[in-house]
Amino acid sequence: VISRGRDLKHDVRLDVDAVVVGTGAGGSVALRDLARAGLRVVALEEGGHFTSADFNQREEQMLPMLFQEMGARATDDMAIRVLQGRGVGGSTLHNTNLCKRTPDAILDAWSKKYAVSGASAGELRPAFERIEADLSVSEIPRELVNPNNDVLRRGAEQLGWKSGPLKHNRVGCQLSGFCELGCTYDAKQNALKIMVPQALAAGARIWSDVSAVAITTRAGRATGVVAVARDGLGDPVAWVDVRARVVVLAASATGSAALALASKLPDPYAQAGRGLRLHPGAVCVGRFDREIDGYRGIPQSWECTEHLSFEEGSDRRVWIVPAFAHPIGAAATMPGFGASHMTAMRAYARIAVLTAMVHDETSGRVDAGEDARPVLRYRLDERDRAQLAKGLAACARLLFAAGALEVVIPAVPPVRLRSSKEVDVLDLGFVRPHGVPISSVHPMGTLRMGDDARSSVVSSTGEHHHVRGLFVADASLFPTSLGVPPQISVYAFAHHLSRHAVERARG
Amino acid sequence: VGAAGGLLALVRTRGYHVPSERSDRLLALSSWELVVVEHAARRIAARDDESASGPPSADDVDVAGFVDGYLARMAAPRRRDVRRLLAYLEHIAPIRAGNVDRFSRLAPAAQDRVLGTLESSSSDLLREGFAGLKALVFMGYYRDPRTWRVLGYAGPLVGRAAP
Repeated sequence: VISRGRDLKHDVRLDVDAVVVGTGAGGSVALRDLARAGLRVVALEEGGHFTSADFNQREEQMLPMLFQEMGARATDDMAIRVLQGRGVGGSTLHNTNLCKRTPDAILDAWSKKYAVSGASAGELRPAFERIEADLSVSEIPRELVNPNNDVLRRGAEQLGWKSGPLKHNRVGCQLSGFCELGCTYDAKQNALKIMVPQALAAGARIWSDVSAVAITTRAGRATGVVAVARDGLGDPVAWVDVRARVVVLAASATGSAALALASKLPDPYAQAGRGLRLHPGAVCVGRFDREIDGYRGIPQSWECTEHLSFEEGSDRRVWIVPAFAHPIGAAATMPGFGASHMTAMRAYARIAVLTAMVHDETSGRVDAGEDARPVLRYRLDERDRAQLAKGLAACARLLFAAGALEVVIPAVPPVRLRSSKEVDVLDLGFVRPHGVPISSVHPMGTLRMGDDARSSVVSSTGEHHHVRGLFVADASLFPTSLGVPPQISVYAFAHHLSRHAVERARG
Repeated sequence: VGAAGGLLALVRTRGYHVPSERSDRLLALSSWELVVVEHAARRIAARDDESASGPPSADDVDVAGFVDGYLARMAAPRRRDVRRLLAYLEHIAPIRAGNVDRFSRLAPAAQDRVLGTLESSSSDLLREGFAGLKALVFMGYYRDPRTWRVLGYAGPLVGRAAP
């Protein structure tokens, strides 16, 4: 049963065994696993409940519906736009379905340097296999690589750089190209399509349009969640008071941390909210003499890993993938304005776009604002800035190698390049926060796991060091950046750790 | 100081004409703010072909009306940021670009220069503010199917008749 908080006419009190905050990759799995264990469990989702019939492929309507702060969320200095989902299904509603496991090198580092136990590649394998089976993960067939992705493939081939096909969780894809606006065809095998129905079938309940504002505790134990139901305009309509022995935080690395901080939980080493990683990225645009029509087909099916290493401190921490946008997103990114901007937009069908994403080591933080809203503080450090610059230069080289006539980096003022030789001599000092548009879709690491309470917030079981019965099951857990898209890691860690929450809920 | 500020605000927000049937329907913007958005949208989404067969204008697709409706759904702090930016664009930015008139009373070429100073401002905040305004304007403009012909963009498949 999914109930709409916006329809509430009076306050509600719920008595359950466990409450899950958030219904994205982590929350939906935790909800399912707790319900399958025979527990009475309810999930609270800040966003609405939408179905494929609601996803109309219109940017100006889907952006406010599916994204936090109507797509306008950003770091506090406005330097990095942070796109995060909302709605039953969370960010899996709008993500581009990339499926990569947590790299072994990352898991090794977590074990050796961050005191994470029980999460080696071997120990996590069953969870990855279970999740990949649930989500029907498969390699994207070569014939479905669209022209924008083929630009990356051919560029890498020309340069002799390492690249290859990606895996995804789609079945019955219609190649419409509107993945980031929600799937009209139910082809995404995501939290909404797979995990939520399984959870409901096992007896779980979900309340949409309900924002958690505080975790309640007594004598060092979690006792529930206080939440507010809101109408379509975000105005409060009722209180929702949930009493539970177990609370699972799965409201993302921004939302979960802000809620933990707003709840003033015990935090003797001031760890909560620290360690924010963003996978910051920026784009490079190539103009071709032929039609690319990059908005059609699967948006991301090919990757370049030539400049990506998972070793800490490496100077190769850039992942390159295509990043085409629909007209509104493209127009906002293209430099300039006015008649010259429109002339540039006339080349829309003939441009290819690549993005360089940094496997970042900058450590930011999340603070709690009004009503437990996250405030993101993150200042890209010099080494990560250099990685971003290196990544944009690599994107430009790939575009030229694939035959681009011109490459534009949308800086202020824009940088226009005519050949790879110009990339060789380019001063990349302009690549910096506020110098180029930077965006993030992968916040991580603000309620980090580890067995040392002095340097982490939750233990390796996902349970809070100082609040019994409070668990975390989202990207907040990760002690470092992953360097790969996090959705499979989030699903898998939530599944891997859910047995501990089940045990605690059973008392 | 308060009285002087109030007087200044009164003077600076007078002289804007918005038909009552339009001003009565505004959700987030005041009349003078709507006028500023209209002027900014005309320049930011200016056409490169103004012939009858060219793309629609910002007024044709009512960018300002869209921005008003969109802002009404935004959280109050973000809405406040946009309104502050509009006040800056209308009253302060022209002076800093060497004009005495308000932005909405400048000739188009002068308005372009003012917007250009914001786009390339040495202030990170102003540059990001301009980027935000530009994003809102282009959302209002390129939402309209009449603009897609310029791009060679076929638009959503939803709602399109089967072949």
